[in-house]
Amino acid sequence: MAVLHPPPARAGRPPRRRRWRFNSAYLFIAPSLVLIAVFIAEPIVQSGWMSLHDWTIGSSDNPFVGLGNYTALWHDSRFWNALRVTVVYTAAVTVGQVVLGLAIAARLRRTTWYSSLLRTAYFFPYIASLVVVGVIWKFLLDPQVGLINAWLSDLGVSSPPNWLQSTSLALPTVIAVGLWKNVGFTMIVLLAGMQQVPADLYEAATLDGAGPWRRFLHVTLPALRPSLLFTSLIATVTGLQLFDLVFAMTGGGPIFSTESVVMYLYQKGFVEFDMGYASAIAWVLFVIILAVSAVQLRVARYRDDD
Amino acid sequence: MYSVRRRGRVRATAALAALTALTAATLAGCGNNGVASTSSGGVVQLTMLTGFTGPDEASYQALVAEFNQTHPKIHVTMSVEPWATVAQKLPESWATGQGPDLATPSSDPGSIFNYISTNSVLPLDDATGTGTDQIDAAAFPSSVRNAFTVNGKLYAVPANNATLVLYYNKDMFTAAGITAAPTTEAEFIADAKKLTLSSGGKTTQYGLSLADNNTIQMWPVLQWMSGGDIVGANGCADVNDAASIAALTQWSQLVIQNHISPVGQAGADADTLFSSKKAAMEINGPWAAAGYKSAGINLGMVTIPVGSAGQVTLASTVPLMIERTTPHAAEAEQFLAWYTGKTAQAKFSEISGFPPARTDLGSSVSGNATVSLFASELPYARLYLAGQSKATSIDSDVYVPMIQQIERGANVQSATNSAAQQIDKLTGCTS
Repeated sequence: MAVLHPPPARAGRPPRRRRWRFNSAYLFIAPSLVLIAVFIAEPIVQSGWMSLHDWTIGSSDNPFVGLGNYTALWHDSRFWNALRVTVVYTAAVTVGQVVLGLAIAARLRRTTWYSSLLRTAYFFPYIASLVVVGVIWKFLLDPQVGLINAWLSDLGVSSPPNWLQSTSLALPTVIAVGLWKNVGFTMIVLLAGMQQVPADLYEAATLDGAGPWRRFLHVTLPALRPSLLFTSLIATVTGLQLFDLVFAMTGGGPIFSTESVVMYLYQKGFVEFDMGYASAIAWVLFVIILAVSAVQLRVARYRDDD
Repeated sequence: MYSVRRRGRVRATAALAALTALTAATLAGCGNNGVASTSSGGVVQLTMLTGFTGPDEASYQALVAEFNQTHPKIHVTMSVEPWATVAQKLPESWATGQGPDLATPSSDPGSIFNYISTNSVLPLDDATGTGTDQIDAAAFPSSVRNAFTVNGKLYAVPANNATLVLYYNKDMFTAAGITAAPTTEAEFIADAKKLTLSSGGKTTQYGLSLADNNTIQMWPVLQWMSGGDIVGANGCADVNDAASIAALTQWSQLVIQNHISPVGQAGADADTLFSSKKAAMEINGPWAAAGYKSAGINLGMVTIPVGSAGQVTLASTVPLMIERTTPHAAEAEQFLAWYTGKTAQAKFSEISGFPPARTDLGSSVSGNATVSLFASELPYARLYLAGQSKATSIDSDVYVPMIQQIERGANVQSATNSAAQQIDKLTGCTS
């Protein structure tokens, strides 16, 4: 009977245990790690823990409810409405931002005095605070004393719309303002991307008989893929976190028609003090953002060299 | 030779120092935020957080200054933040013992339940009485005293007390040929219709400026006038009873069909509409008077017109409470006793235009016509959702959306039935 023997040990010196050496680099990054741990990691873990409890701010008795908050969320029609509002806003603003931003960037690609002026004009709203933008537009759109409806009246419109008090118009109006606010950012990023496209690619395409549209379609757009991915990702993530604009313009109304997920989270957590439920909303939103971002990266075939 | 090892030690030392400094700074930030009370040089320092950011802030500060002047052993420092900020900061800071000694948690009196349930506030019963340094709770309007008494214990005193009156633009009344302000509900409705003007299909002047969100509540007053209500004393919804439905139907039709008021206004919008002379009447509190006068309005003010249910108006009060763990509870109680005393309240009424938070100062304020008007309504003024522990949710999740639906043409019966179901669910009413 054949007997199997273990292979002989390799001759030579026994493996040396690697000596731990103190690396001072860890100490240099430690301050940042401490900040991240205290202000980001710990609150994230804490919110996950709170979402499993019936947690009221300041209460000494916060009973464990397991997935109770998540189950309640599943049956909460107001949450689903807030999610619908958030998704509609995000989709509209993301698509609008990319398409409009691309069109404006293409139009203003050449540097002239008026294109510089227009670039500044388009970018200017982006640097303003969302709350300031919201308050200003709320004034402009006021049906009684606002400039927009006064102009419409002057133009002969007998009953100008009640932009922010109509349940059907409030969300489109908020979307339009969000688009106006952010399109400048997309335009600048895409403009920078366009200016990085080598001129010889366009020359080669022209020699091959490609017209302006084909050059845009087959040279500019592929070259802009990383920029388009970046801008759409940023627009999606910020859209899903919609709060400031709605808070300033409509407060989520009328009749919840503009209430976003974060607005609902704020209402539950900081108005009604139900932090357990608010934490559950935050975690669901986190998972949604993670999933949407992953899908976007997958669809855009993100590579490391992007 | 400056060895590699030595250089590494220097680096490590530098990094360690940076880490130590940062940790110290972080921990310092986590410590006392400096708002809790202290005692220095025999003077007890008390801190008070409020949300009085409006023009009435000066009146409160003046009162605090007078207390400090007359009480050399106690010094109160009042800080002011927007209500939303107070609502965010206070629960955690009080729960962790880091908060101010005294605070007005919200302009909504129903908010006290949140703080009582978290055991954050000091019951005041031991400090009540009729002595000079005692809180004379018996002198508070009964609606206020009841709202601040939970399970038989008094937890707050009124930082202010206001009622709502009917403001009207005398010039618009004259132009419409109306010689006197309305005194009955029927006159109120007739005047609102008559004062609503339109041109080319567009409303150019509204008879009444009604707000339904982010506002002092106006719609409950319209319901109460006709005998309606929102929630009964037993916690069960009354919003769908016959009187409520009749009142809501009547006023929503006036808005929808007669256009007496714009739809969906926030409180600030309603104020702007009236102060910009685009509306002839508005239901509002004493804080609005100065602004309307400075806007150049020929202003008239009368008590709310009387409906079928008799004289009624809305009372508004802001609770002022003491943190449970403050080391200077006695001094804080002494401040509340002085603050709600006769001298301080008479002075507060004089400088703010608010009625006093006591019912026994009628003669002291009779010289001021504005204060007298607001004070005259105290006996029949009612608090919104008084005594309801879920008042905040009932307001924001149910009542305001219901009014918004009704204003936009929703069926009143079904909207109120749906609201009643939600209210009963929130309050736990089973009958």
